[in-house]
Amino acid sequence: MFTLLQIAARNLARNRKRTLLLGGAIAIVTVLLVLLTALFNGTQASMLRNATTLSTGHVNVAGFYKITSGTAAPVVTDYVKLRDIVEKETPGLQSLVVRGRGFGKLVSDASSQVAVVSGIDIEREANFKNILEIVSGDVNRLSEPHAILIFEATAERLELKIGDNVTLSSQTFRGANNSIDCKVVAIAKPLGMFSSFFAYVPLQTLRELYSLDQHTAGGIQIYLKDWEQAEQVAAKLRIALDKSGYRVMDHMDLPYWRKFDIVKREDWTGQKIDVTTWMDEDPFMKWTLFGFRALIVIVFMVLLAIIIIGVMNTLWMAIRERTREVGALRAIGMQRHMVLAMFVTEGALLAVISSTAGVILGVIAAYGINAAHLKMIKGFQMVLMSETVTLLVSVPTVLLSLLVIASVTTLGSILPAWRAARLQPVEAMHSSN
Amino acid sequence: MHMATTSAPQPIVHLSHVDKDYKLGAVTVSALKQVSLEIAPGEFTVIAGPSGSGKTTLLNLIGCVDVATRGEVVVAGQDTGKLSEGDLTRLRLNALGFIFQSFNLVGVLDAFQNVEFPLLLQKKLNGAQRKERVMDLLHKVGIADYAHHRPGELSGGQRQRVAIARALVTYPRIVLADEPTANLDSVTGTQILDLMQELNREGTTFLFSTHDPHVVSRAGRVVRLVDGRIVTEPDEQSQSSHA
Repeated sequence: MFTLLQIAARNLARNRKRTLLLGGAIAIVTVLLVLLTALFNGTQASMLRNATTLSTGHVNVAGFYKITSGTAAPVVTDYVKLRDIVEKETPGLQSLVVRGRGFGKLVSDASSQVAVVSGIDIEREANFKNILEIVSGDVNRLSEPHAILIFEATAERLELKIGDNVTLSSQTFRGANNSIDCKVVAIAKPLGMFSSFFAYVPLQTLRELYSLDQHTAGGIQIYLKDWEQAEQVAAKLRIALDKSGYRVMDHMDLPYWRKFDIVKREDWTGQKIDVTTWMDEDPFMKWTLFGFRALIVIVFMVLLAIIIIGVMNTLWMAIRERTREVGALRAIGMQRHMVLAMFVTEGALLAVISSTAGVILGVIAAYGINAAHLKMIKGFQMVLMSETVTLLVSVPTVLLSLLVIASVTTLGSILPAWRAARLQPVEAMHSSN
Repeated sequence: MHMATTSAPQPIVHLSHVDKDYKLGAVTVSALKQVSLEIAPGEFTVIAGPSGSGKTTLLNLIGCVDVATRGEVVVAGQDTGKLSEGDLTRLRLNALGFIFQSFNLVGVLDAFQNVEFPLLLQKKLNGAQRKERVMDLLHKVGIADYAHHRPGELSGGQRQRVAIARALVTYPRIVLADEPTANLDSVTGTQILDLMQELNREGTTFLFSTHDPHVVSRAGRVVRLVDGRIVTEPDEQSQSSHA
């Protein structure tokens, strides 16, 4: 009823100081929620973009080949056939790349370190080139045989610069030791705390290291238009590959390098395909995002509880001040549910106006922070895989924030309003307020 | 005590052997004792008595904002003891009008909106019909020029006129007024009584409480309460039941 809205609005305006105080608090909580969710979205997008460039696609179709039951090689044979099936059966496919997977030791004149070595076809890796920030050298030279790209931390540890040679040694999947000399062609800025353990060589170079033929690769990294569909797409691909005659491994929530021992112990030989998602391949990122999300939820809950208490207190005060008015309205024929509606409308109006103001301020603040290019402190840079604070304002998240704050604060007004509705007219009319 | 005769029209209010007790901790206080009363249409009746005699309690029972401990209270043909909370509220809305000592208008609504409010609750009239009815009443109580003033911008007398218009807007069977002139100066109080009497002559039934002898002298009928019991004075028995 319009009159109830009018009564609510005018009562809020009449108690301007109290309204501004509580409305301001609701708006501030909304601003914080908008900024926190935008920070989460920004961090998630940044981590996901970086991680899916380094070591995983949104979905990965890879697997293990076992020559004997006690060995396990992270390769797929006849990858072209597999790629054709994946291209055909992946809904929402944006792009895919073929990568080689390896694990070896980088040895320089100064030192050595272990590294996850990926074989890539740089001419088909546009995202890779876009995302990596090259400190020195040229990433395009990864097309040259025996070239290698390393990160700054590795270059410092091994005292390497562009043009230097580094020996990459590993054990072939048949158990023999092998090594090749690679030339450093590019050094990149770190992309998160694990990037220093990554190195990239041409796919063909990796095949040479492991004595693999042209038809063998580590796996296919799939990039989707909507990364949130990764789980569903992975499930669909498992079924499609099974129908195509491949033996498909049961889903395990682990990165491929933690499956070696498990696969080695299994009593089978030949090829098995393993379909994983970015969450399986990068559990660190999954848990970082989970922790971040949990932190936001906890902070938000605390702030929300404060706001609910504030709303309830304010309405208690309003009801105490207007007890006689409630009594008179009940006496002239206002039903209880209308009294309830009258006070809930007041709470809802305050909530909607304040949270809308908070959303607008929050969005402006988010754009301001992005424009300021604020640097993150070192520790966070490593964990969150980004140098600057990046806030990603998404319309659905902002609308959800608005809805949640407005709904919850409105809910906070129900108890006092219900108590007001339960007032006996005779007692309320003779209340001394 | 005045009782309606068999030839009189059906009473609007009928109370039979009504008691009202209040619990104050372990003590039970009897506010009304064995009260029987009938109010016929068109009466202009005063409930008179000293403070604490039970005037307001009696009005509250008739106004359906309180319930009797014992006895029967019938208002507009309905036994209030058998009605639910919602039914009592509907009865108040449709059959009763209230005028309060301290006006009890909604402070954030203007005079027009205050008078219109019971019609909005009733949901019987459309906007144009409501406007016509409200403006008609505001003219009648002499406050049409202040229709868009809020209570805070009106004098006590003007506020009480708004309250009277609000009480009348739903065509109630009876208007109950709890000491309607108590918060007004004597001149304004007289004007309000004049207005109520004029409305009574036009057919509105009034029942109001007071302990002001000047107001009592204007009544068509006086119901005198002492210590929760109705006491009828001989000279009042002979008075007409109409103003």
